[in-house]
Amino acid sequence: MTISESLLISVFGLAIVFVVLIALCLFIMLQSRIIGAFRLKKKEAPQKKTEQSASVEKKDAAISAGQLKLFDVDEKTAAIIMAIVSHVSKTPLSELQFKSIKALD
Amino acid sequence: MQYSFIDTLVKIWEMSGFSYISWQQLLMIGISGVLIYLAIVKGFEPLLLLPIAFGMLLTNLPLADLMVEEVPGSGQPGGLLSYLYLGVKKGIYPSLIFMGIGAMTDFGPLIARPTSLFLGAAAQFGIYVAFTIARALNFTPQEAASIGIIGGADGPTAIYLTAKLADHLLPAIAIAAYSYMALIPMIQPPLMRLLTTKKERETKMEQLREVSKLEKILFPIVVTILCVLLLPSVAPLIGMLMLGNLFRESGVVERLSDTAQNALINIVTIFLGVTVGATAKAETFLRLETLMIIGLGLLAFSFSTVGGLLFGKLMYWLSGGKVNPLIGSAGVSAVPMAARVSQVEGQKANPSNFLLMHAMGPNVAGVIGSAVAAGFLLAVFGQ
Repeated sequence: MTISESLLISVFGLAIVFVVLIALCLFIMLQSRIIGAFRLKKKEAPQKKTEQSASVEKKDAAISAGQLKLFDVDEKTAAIIMAIVSHVSKTPLSELQFKSIKALD
Repeated sequence: MQYSFIDTLVKIWEMSGFSYISWQQLLMIGISGVLIYLAIVKGFEPLLLLPIAFGMLLTNLPLADLMVEEVPGSGQPGGLLSYLYLGVKKGIYPSLIFMGIGAMTDFGPLIARPTSLFLGAAAQFGIYVAFTIARALNFTPQEAASIGIIGGADGPTAIYLTAKLADHLLPAIAIAAYSYMALIPMIQPPLMRLLTTKKERETKMEQLREVSKLEKILFPIVVTILCVLLLPSVAPLIGMLMLGNLFRESGVVERLSDTAQNALINIVTIFLGVTVGATAKAETFLRLETLMIIGLGLLAFSFSTVGGLLFGKLMYWLSGGKVNPLIGSAGVSAVPMAARVSQVEGQKANPSNFLLMHAMGPNVAGVIGSAVAAGFLLAVFGQ
């Protein structure tokens, strides 16, 4: 083996090391991206859930907005009356507005 | 039957090793003494240098015949160390040590910044420079490849390749490789300061991202598949390195991981060290080529450092000054010593600089890089 052949082997050897490690680098990058994308999706799913529950809470807040005056009626009875009205009128509670509930003798 | 006191003394003298010892053997015992001193007092890679030095001492005591091989059919058993040496000869010990290294290594910094692999590749430059020069000095291609691998700064890899290609050079190469690894804090800093500007050395690097457990588990599997498919001769080293790492990262085989990184690696290190040292017999070690190997080893080591640093500078330039080129020198394996040197030099330039974790990426990439380089040389020059 001549010196020029040795030199050629050296260049080739270093190139092989680079090729293997570059391939590894690309593979790690790809793997990280795929795993990152999955993690992002997983994160988004519970976020949507929390957004939904937040909007429900907002709606609930809208329901409870304002003041309801109760005359000789306890809160439990008032809640039952409101639920019955909603059910009978087929109107969601969120669209109903009660100003006062008064017991009639 | 008459007994003469003098005759008996003469007989005892003639049967003892004292009457057979040569000046070369005495010199080798002296060298082993120096190595023992360096290991114990100076702390130069004591885990390996101490058993190597003691193996050297044992093998140069005449008539002990600890390395004499068994002759088949003779009925005479071989020396103790000749049996233990089979682990070196067959490439078993370096591979098992790699398993332990894998179990001890966190590849997280490398996964967080995969471009570190380029630095690990560039820092193998010295291997090929030393190989070419060794060829010019009339070493055989197998010998030149074994000398060149010292530039990989990885003891087990150097021993593995040399045992396969040129086992008569094993003691010189093993001693050179481990000595230079111990001397990293002295060899690298002058080159680091010479090849980088103060502004480059002051560069602070961004914090590495967090690496998930899944990425860490997939890494050893992917590396094994890719490297072994590309270069099958690298399978014993990379395969064991990654098996050890999988033990560590899987989190389900704590006992195996613990054994690989403690008990097993310690036992194998004793066998490896003593038997490699025991190959350093006066008649094979005290030659001009030993000095040439030690000189070429230093050259290989220095050029590997230069390769890593120059590629680090390239990355500094390409990244717009975000990569500190000092981490390039850590690409020469020698985990974690080379990374520590990068940290120390970085802090000297800028006391608020913390390069250790950034340098660990190229450092562990260097382990893979030197194993790949060894695999290539084995594929080309092996039988």
